[in-house]
Amino acid sequence: MTEPTGPQIGVTLYSFTNEWLSRRFDLDGLMHEVANRGLGPNIEIIGFQNFKEFPDVSDGFAEGFKQLVAQTGLNPVSLAINSDRFLRPGQQPVEDDFLVEYHKRQLRSAKKLGFSLVRYQFALPVHLLADIAPYAEELGVRMGVEVHAPMWAGHPAVLAYREMYDKLDSPVLGWIPDFGGTATRIPPSLLDAARAAGAKESLITLVQQIWPEPVPSHEKAAKLFEHARRDGHEPAHIQAAALAFFILANNDPKSWAEMVDRTIHIHGKFYGVSEDLVEEAVPYDVILPLFRDGGFTGTIVSEWEGHAYCEADAFEQVRRHQAMCRKILAG
Amino acid sequence: MLPVERIIGEEGLSRSGNALRLAMRLPWYRSLPFSTVEVAGVEIDGAAIDLADARVEYEGHSWSLAELGEQIDAFWFVRDSAFLALPGRSEAVGSEHAVTLLLHVSPPYIPGMKRANRQSATLRVN
Repeated sequence: MTEPTGPQIGVTLYSFTNEWLSRRFDLDGLMHEVANRGLGPNIEIIGFQNFKEFPDVSDGFAEGFKQLVAQTGLNPVSLAINSDRFLRPGQQPVEDDFLVEYHKRQLRSAKKLGFSLVRYQFALPVHLLADIAPYAEELGVRMGVEVHAPMWAGHPAVLAYREMYDKLDSPVLGWIPDFGGTATRIPPSLLDAARAAGAKESLITLVQQIWPEPVPSHEKAAKLFEHARRDGHEPAHIQAAALAFFILANNDPKSWAEMVDRTIHIHGKFYGVSEDLVEEAVPYDVILPLFRDGGFTGTIVSEWEGHAYCEADAFEQVRRHQAMCRKILAG
Repeated sequence: MLPVERIIGEEGLSRSGNALRLAMRLPWYRSLPFSTVEVAGVEIDGAAIDLADARVEYEGHSWSLAELGEQIDAFWFVRDSAFLALPGRSEAVGSEHAVTLLLHVSPPYIPGMKRANRQSATLRVN
């Protein structure tokens, strides 16, 4: 196989959450559909979404998955694992030893299933990396922490991880940028969904006013709830509109340049790509050249998250997103 | 209603001995341990049901609602239904009832987040 010379294109099956939850496809059917539509071959899978035996997959299950991979010709590049530290709601987080083992179980499953890269999360306290990274090195599995909204290159958690990465100097540790943290506006499709759910125009205006304010996302969300309740908006409408504060942030898209060197994989988060190949909220024309010109040769998986508020055709959205990425990368 | 908002399962309502069984779906995009799931209420024909003896049944397991919070290593596969067994119910097979379910989830990698879900449907007892 020749070494890639630039960013590769792929898709995360998370894009098809609506099709999955509604039981329109099982895993066999979904992977064949992705392959038949030419949306692969590179794919990401969330272990806890698509694998019933996760976090501990049996040998037989892993063998079945490998056969499916061979049949479809897909390339399993990334397995999203979860850093579930808050397993007892309202109580203390789980013990460090439990959380370390919880990651090792998922890393073992990744290896067994044929993945050589996992996505993990900032819910893992940074000091525990010293216990987990050597195990990932033994397995030969790379680990990328997902830099997801509201985080970005300059966020304190990212800086703490950067310091630990420097200290451990492990070849398996890296970043997985998620572009939702550097959106230029709230997706109009999200606001339209809130309107369709009954939200009044005054609530939409309020969300748009608060969203760009330069304060932490949770403070903006709290402000929206306070003002919207005061103005008498219904809780269900506020909930629909407030989604914008939890999945998107408006950090500087050019700030990704600081992370390119340690980026091992990318979540190409998007909400709606038009027929003329323009994404409505994330400025791909600004972001993608940073990674291309910075020498990134991993995979950008198309991650359509419009399913959090609408039922548009996910397959068509992914097709457009991949076409847009190819066009920008070639430019 | 989006697929992720669905909490009353496709299998609906059925009778099992002296109990009613209600199919439930997990309102999240991924599997979660049962410890992060809270069955917060059931109403049948407008009356709130006492859940003291209710049990959650999944893949051969059966837990009381009080035991659910300790199940940090039993995962509800997001594509499956789990079942809520309500003992001592007299609704006849074939009869129709207005059912409301409240089911809350607390995603275990987002501290403090609790997502409340409510769904009502008219269901025939199978």
